[in-house]
Amino acid sequence: MSANDVLGIIFSNAYDEVIPELTALRTMGSVPYAGRYRLIDFPLSSMVNAGITKVGVITNNNYRSLMDHIGNGKPWDLSRKREGLTLLPPFSGPDSGMFKGKADALYGSISYISDSGKDYVLLTDCNVLGNIDYDDMLRYHIEKKSDMTLAYAEAIPPEIKNSVEYTVDDDGRITESRFVDTYTSSAKFSLKVMIIGRTLLERLLHEANAKRISDFEDIVSPCISQMRVYGYRQESYVKVISSIRSYYDANLDLLDEKIRKDLFPADLPIYTKISDRSPTVYGINSAVGNSLVADGCKIDGEVENCIIFRGVTVAKGAKVKNSIIMQDTVIGEGAAVDCVIADKDVRISTRKTLSGASNYPVYIGKGIVI
Amino acid sequence: MARKHECIAMLLAGGQGSRLGILTKNIAKPAVPYGGKYRIIDFPLSNCVNSGIDTVGVLTQYQPLVLNDYIGNGQPWDLDRADGGVHILSPYQQISGTEWYKGTANAIYQNINFIERYDPEYVLILSGDHIYKMDYSEMIDYHKEKNADCTIAMLEVPWEEASRFGLMIVNDDGSIAEFEEKPKNPRSNKASMGVYVFSWKKLRQYLIDDEADADSSNDFGHNLIPAMHQNGERMFAYQFDGYWKDVGTIDSLWDANLDLLNPKVDLNLDDDGWKIYSRNPAAPPHFVGSNAELINSMVTEGCKIDGHVDFSVLFANVTVEEGAEVKYSIVMPGTVIKKGATVQYSIVAENAVIDEGATVGKSPETMENIADWGVSVIGNGVHIGKNAVIEPKAMIDSDVGGAE
Repeated sequence: MSANDVLGIIFSNAYDEVIPELTALRTMGSVPYAGRYRLIDFPLSSMVNAGITKVGVITNNNYRSLMDHIGNGKPWDLSRKREGLTLLPPFSGPDSGMFKGKADALYGSISYISDSGKDYVLLTDCNVLGNIDYDDMLRYHIEKKSDMTLAYAEAIPPEIKNSVEYTVDDDGRITESRFVDTYTSSAKFSLKVMIIGRTLLERLLHEANAKRISDFEDIVSPCISQMRVYGYRQESYVKVISSIRSYYDANLDLLDEKIRKDLFPADLPIYTKISDRSPTVYGINSAVGNSLVADGCKIDGEVENCIIFRGVTVAKGAKVKNSIIMQDTVIGEGAAVDCVIADKDVRISTRKTLSGASNYPVYIGKGIVI
Repeated sequence: MARKHECIAMLLAGGQGSRLGILTKNIAKPAVPYGGKYRIIDFPLSNCVNSGIDTVGVLTQYQPLVLNDYIGNGQPWDLDRADGGVHILSPYQQISGTEWYKGTANAIYQNINFIERYDPEYVLILSGDHIYKMDYSEMIDYHKEKNADCTIAMLEVPWEEASRFGLMIVNDDGSIAEFEEKPKNPRSNKASMGVYVFSWKKLRQYLIDDEADADSSNDFGHNLIPAMHQNGERMFAYQFDGYWKDVGTIDSLWDANLDLLNPKVDLNLDDDGWKIYSRNPAAPPHFVGSNAELINSMVTEGCKIDGHVDFSVLFANVTVEEGAEVKYSIVMPGTVIKKGATVQYSIVAENAVIDEGATVGKSPETMENIADWGVSVIGNGVHIGKNAVIEPKAMIDSDVGGAE
């Protein structure tokens, strides 16, 4: 068995509503992250690194930015004569249209799934940030003769709709699942990443459609008592983005060297669309510390504890702290910015001051001039 | 048979670039890294694509492995085309025998069949030795307008440097009156840039004649162009204004990199209208640590900087540890500069390690005799041991042990 027997399915719109500011004009999958990536780069690259060569990306709405980003899949080596990357938007038929839930969305693509002829299907959302070794997860799934393998992490669960925690026995088998009700103590929470046999998935989807079940959790939970369902523990860094605050934290997490190593190990690279920006130029007045900076920036001011995306300008005398500054944003001369998430193409004019709090970062929308 | 193309480009990339010493020990000169994330060949290739030339033959001969791998199918430059695209052309066996490319003209002669497949009106001859942004389509328009047989791109160089170049004396109508190859007392400051447009029918004939001439060294500059001139063909000079630099020597490579940090130098690599494309490594953005002092420098993806970096160009995945100092230097991909090491006025090639406390290079101001000063060069994969000292002008090709 190899990962080549696996069909990858990515839900690009799942949980869009938890960061409405960032997904107003885009899908969860196309939310920018870590200076030069979009969230979908992580599951997509992990799939490719595991040897998966056929990937379907399920979209529902606002997917233009996603199409622009993934194109024909070339940066992930998924522009192929056989297999490769397929975008699966909703289509209108007698009983389809916009998806109501993940089960619904998958049912809309059921012919794509069955025609793939693969033995297994790997399903993931885009708000799960990590470099998950899917190859290892598949090995585990096969070794345990599992019908369904669900990835989990052990930490404080994300405060998100349908947040699920598991009880896992010594063998790794999931004996119980329930919705999380307290978000203060550590639990084995679901990452909503699953490996399942293709024919079993098809059967479950047909049944769900007959019963008009649109929510995926409603399909999965009854299986736990009836089938061999195993939990795959994700040990390295993983974070489920559940709010603008957790998005902000997930970015600043990158300033920790261990987390950077977990997300960007040399042998499992994260691929993204190439933008051919020149390297970043630091000027004579620049003072930069503890920051991650992408290509194409012009930095001549002070930058501390920041994630700076491609093509950002920080002018002389500007002070940028604890902030996420996205592509092509300009921080003018003498401006001061603290605890801010500035989306693409924002202009902070000369000597303006803007500050949020670390538990409540200020978000500035795309293209806004302050 | 391919579809007819009005103009195709032939890029001479077979040269060793021996004046770059150990930097070209295992790679051809056009593959030498430049400007943080580029290689020299990115410039002519990007210029071609930006000028609308979609068919490029790259002639390779010396150490082609890295170059072939780098160019691949040409996708980074949008040159992976169903019709045309980039083609690597190395010497091959023929029924008449097997020959290396004997000279620049011979290299093109051996690929006449390649050119004929596209049935071009014009052929653009380029080299992989220069850093410049140029719209070749304007030069081709000029060539057509002058009804020329050969057009040579030229730029005005400072008079005091003119004697290092192949010069042209140009008439008022732009036609070339005379050539002077590196004269002691130059009568012109109009230097040839090594960029030629030929009308293909004419060039084809001269290539055949040149090949038949047993005395010829089969070189464009020495043989073919003088022959055309002697026969009174229509030869014109096309004036280029802008940044152009030959990076054929250690000093000029060092200078050309540091030019990128000079705001007065007219070479914008981030020009949306004229992008320079390159093959990118898949590395995260660079990380600047809390101890870093980073000014006047160019840094790219995958670097980790926690030391003092001033007036330097760092390529992908370079590490500068805490307390290390890098000044007036070019550090190529994957190199690690460890704690307390000092690198100044140097070029450090790929994947080298400068161990703790080592010193590479020296500032010219500290020299007793300025004649002894020069840029220090550390070769690919070389390990410089703890506290070792590498003198200015040195070229280090093998590991150097530590010192007390």
